[in-house]
Amino acid sequence: MNDVDQAIAWARARAAGPQRVPPSTPSGVGMRRLVETEAGATWLLPMLPEGAGPTVLEELGLSATAVEQPNDTARVLAACLRCCWSEPNGSPWPGVVASWEQVTSVFRGITDNRDERYSNIALVAGVRRLAGAGWLRWSEATREVQLGPRVALWRDPELSTLRELWRLIPSIDIAPNLTAGPDLAIGPDLAANPDLAAEPDLDTEPDLAANSELGTTGGSDE
Amino acid sequence: MGLSFDDLAGEAAVLGVYRQVFAVLARESGAMVLDASSVDVDEAILGSFAEAGPEGLTVDQVVIACARFSGVQVRRRFEVLRDYRAVERVKDRPHELYHRAAFAPYVMLLFLRRIADRGGQAELHQLLTLEHLSVQESDATVEDARGTTHRLSTVFRLLANQLAGLAVGGVVETLRENAQLLWGNHGLLDQANDVHQTVLSRWSMLDRECRALRLAIAAYRDAVDAAAGRLIEQAGATRALGLLPVEAWRTFAREADVGALSDVLNEFLFDAPAPWFAADTLIEAVESAQHTTPVRITPPRPQTEPGSVTEDAVPDAEAERLRALAEQLLGERTQVSVTELIDEIGDWLGGRRLLADLTAMHLHDTLPYELRWSDRLRITLEPSLNWVTEGRFARVAQ
Repeated sequence: MNDVDQAIAWARARAAGPQRVPPSTPSGVGMRRLVETEAGATWLLPMLPEGAGPTVLEELGLSATAVEQPNDTARVLAACLRCCWSEPNGSPWPGVVASWEQVTSVFRGITDNRDERYSNIALVAGVRRLAGAGWLRWSEATREVQLGPRVALWRDPELSTLRELWRLIPSIDIAPNLTAGPDLAIGPDLAANPDLAAEPDLDTEPDLAANSELGTTGGSDE
Repeated sequence: MGLSFDDLAGEAAVLGVYRQVFAVLARESGAMVLDASSVDVDEAILGSFAEAGPEGLTVDQVVIACARFSGVQVRRRFEVLRDYRAVERVKDRPHELYHRAAFAPYVMLLFLRRIADRGGQAELHQLLTLEHLSVQESDATVEDARGTTHRLSTVFRLLANQLAGLAVGGVVETLRENAQLLWGNHGLLDQANDVHQTVLSRWSMLDRECRALRLAIAAYRDAVDAAAGRLIEQAGATRALGLLPVEAWRTFAREADVGALSDVLNEFLFDAPAPWFAADTLIEAVESAQHTTPVRITPPRPQTEPGSVTEDAVPDAEAERLRALAEQLLGERTQVSVTELIDEIGDWLGGRRLLADLTAMHLHDTLPYELRWSDRLRITLEPSLNWVTEGRFARVAQ
């Protein structure tokens, strides 16, 4: 990669954030490569030195980029993180694909006392906002949600906090063939219908994290 | 080729010191140092003299040697240098064209650059060491010691004054830029105390001078404490006192030309501005969502408490108006047909208002009126209100 290419790549990253490029593209200095699960594309994420992240803004008393509906947007991100971060022992990137129903259920689990209509509006708005900022990848056509490249910016101390969050949020597993729809109630229904198609998934989850503290998470949901 | 931000900052620092040192001289000769490039011009002029050898140079030769700078600029600086005798005629006679440079101004210039680069702290340490050595020498006289004490008192007084002024009244950005004055002050204080101790034990008659030095050192220590306190108080969460203040970056971004800006961008890769979600933010958002209970609006309080008499109720202006209107409509009768009332009014707006009032009387829980609609509908062709549902408005027993 020559100087001009490097300068252009940097300019793109500085102007538009993480870039999705074909896997054969060389990465410039200071860029981190994030390969998508199917290896169909690579994201180039600008890496900041330790201690130069967005937390510095807070130290300097400057306001960060404003988000509309910051709390709901954060909740949407939390819900997606719960659905897509398949193995919380590792890095959230690339994670797995989550269906819209899964995200809806988890989001409604977080904000359980809210009117369904408003909850959906908040969810769609939040997902769009996060997808625009590179926190999520969202396909409107297939209604599938994945974590975006910016999740790789969280460093280890933050990841351990996020693991706590992952455990805090009740898990919902919806098999793709389940037609219960977005208004599926959370805990009680699952407990009341042990024959629910999601049940095997609930069982496999603790196995993934065998011998770890995560083993208790699956059980506590019921 | 553009200047990087560091270069600009460095130049500004050099200029600051240069200006302080030469302000007096320059003011007298009417030539203040107004931009950083004149420091460079001075350096170039002195450099050309160094190349030239003992014969010296004429002004024109200097201009040619300093072709990097404009001739006018070089001539002007040359005049200034000559005014304060950094450049002198080879022979002091009228119309002497050849000049030569004294070495001292160049040393001074180097010294200035060095002070600007390192903040003068190292020079002060060296000065203290030298002074300490000189008062320790066996053949040092009282006068030497007096001089030493006096000089050190002056240095510390000046330091303390500058810092105290900044700490009390200065803008905190200025204070931060001068934070180098705070660094290493323990070493300075210790060295100064050593000198003081040596002088005092060798020449006890210098008690008065030593007292002045003690006071100066104490003033410096106080100023350091005050300034450090102010900085820490202003810094808030950050301890990164060495970072350039935010304002400096903003000013630079506004005022730099394209070249300077792009030179900075060559060095830094940063992410595009985007909302950032710290882990704590997510946790807080999720937890606050789980703990909020839906906001309930308290139901309206009934105007009469159950079981209490009507007179206890708050007087209601609306009820009074409705009661007066109802009595006017009913007159002596106990009931009246709505059709009749509507016909009296005759126009659409008045009819609408009347219907609203009738309904309000009916619904009002303290007024003894009722409105009953029948299933019949009167349709006439002539008046504007040609569709009227029949009904009756009546006074009911309480």
